[in-house]
Amino acid sequence: MGLMDQVDMPQPVKFILNWGRRYSLWVMNFGLACCAIELIATSTSKHDFIRLGVIPFAHGPRQADLLVVAGTLTDKMAPPLKRVYDQIPDPKYVISFGSCSNCGGPYWDSYSVTKGVDQIVPVDVYVPGCPPRPEALLHGIIKLQEKIAQEDIREKWSGKLSTPPVTV
Amino acid sequence: MASSRRPLSPSEIGERLRAQFGEDVRSSDDVFGHAVVTVGPERFEEMATFLRDEPDLDFDYFDFLTGVDYRPKGRGFEVVTHLYSTRLNHHVRLKLECDAEDPHCPTLSGIWPGANWHERETWELFGVMFDGHPHLVKLVLPEQFEGYPLRKDFALMTREAKPWPGGVEGADEEVAT
Repeated sequence: MGLMDQVDMPQPVKFILNWGRRYSLWVMNFGLACCAIELIATSTSKHDFIRLGVIPFAHGPRQADLLVVAGTLTDKMAPPLKRVYDQIPDPKYVISFGSCSNCGGPYWDSYSVTKGVDQIVPVDVYVPGCPPRPEALLHGIIKLQEKIAQEDIREKWSGKLSTPPVTV
Repeated sequence: MASSRRPLSPSEIGERLRAQFGEDVRSSDDVFGHAVVTVGPERFEEMATFLRDEPDLDFDYFDFLTGVDYRPKGRGFEVVTHLYSTRLNHHVRLKLECDAEDPHCPTLSGIWPGANWHERETWELFGVMFDGHPHLVKLVLPEQFEGYPLRKDFALMTREAKPWPGGVEGADEEVAT
């Protein structure tokens, strides 16, 4: 992709770049069910995740850094999710928001629900709850930002980095 | 006769249909203020057209259509069609009993275009064939899905792998005693 994934940057440059990236997360709204309401509530003035540098909402996946999967993913909807994820340029992050997207939630035995979005896309942070409160998403975003700060930018840029997911 | 322009009571709707179709109306009831009429497949379409076109019935709005799997209770499938008249403000539910092994139902999509998608959904979820339907393909299920998931004997793979962890209906009382 250029200099980023070929040259090992000096530590101060890495820090600055990670610092800039973690406080400028354009979020892609992938609201699928009632959790989407909590995601939208987090974006509005009361909970206001813009103060953490999360910018609602990217106009399309190509402008996004962060994908929040909020709600029940069905098998029918799984290919579009994969497609949206693939359209987001690296470096990209995924938050799985709510029990349904974590593991199927109350639809654990359903014929149509995908039991966890991690079967489709790699997840960085799991936020449990049914639905989780907006504060839980804020906590998940802070955890993600901590994770971004620790990252090796060279590996992340090339899409090779795989870090263990965080559960809030 | 000029139409009365008033809602017909459920018993009046039942009488109206019995007068026209006689013994082909297998039963008619008043269920919570709605007429519920059970019919056979032979004159199902004819009855639907009659309900739509008669001025004093005037069922111009196709509300919904769905299926019920009564096989565990020793019966076949049932196709339930709910009709409403926006001008006269009365309801009727048509119930058509279908075969347990090979359920068939005449299509209503030529009478109310709104029936088209409801019939597709009922077909993919219950496996009831809608004879004469112009485009009977999957609507909400993924294309590669196999089986009819709302049938009572449909095996849920997750439940096969892991038994239901919570209480089973009716079992709680036995545990308590």
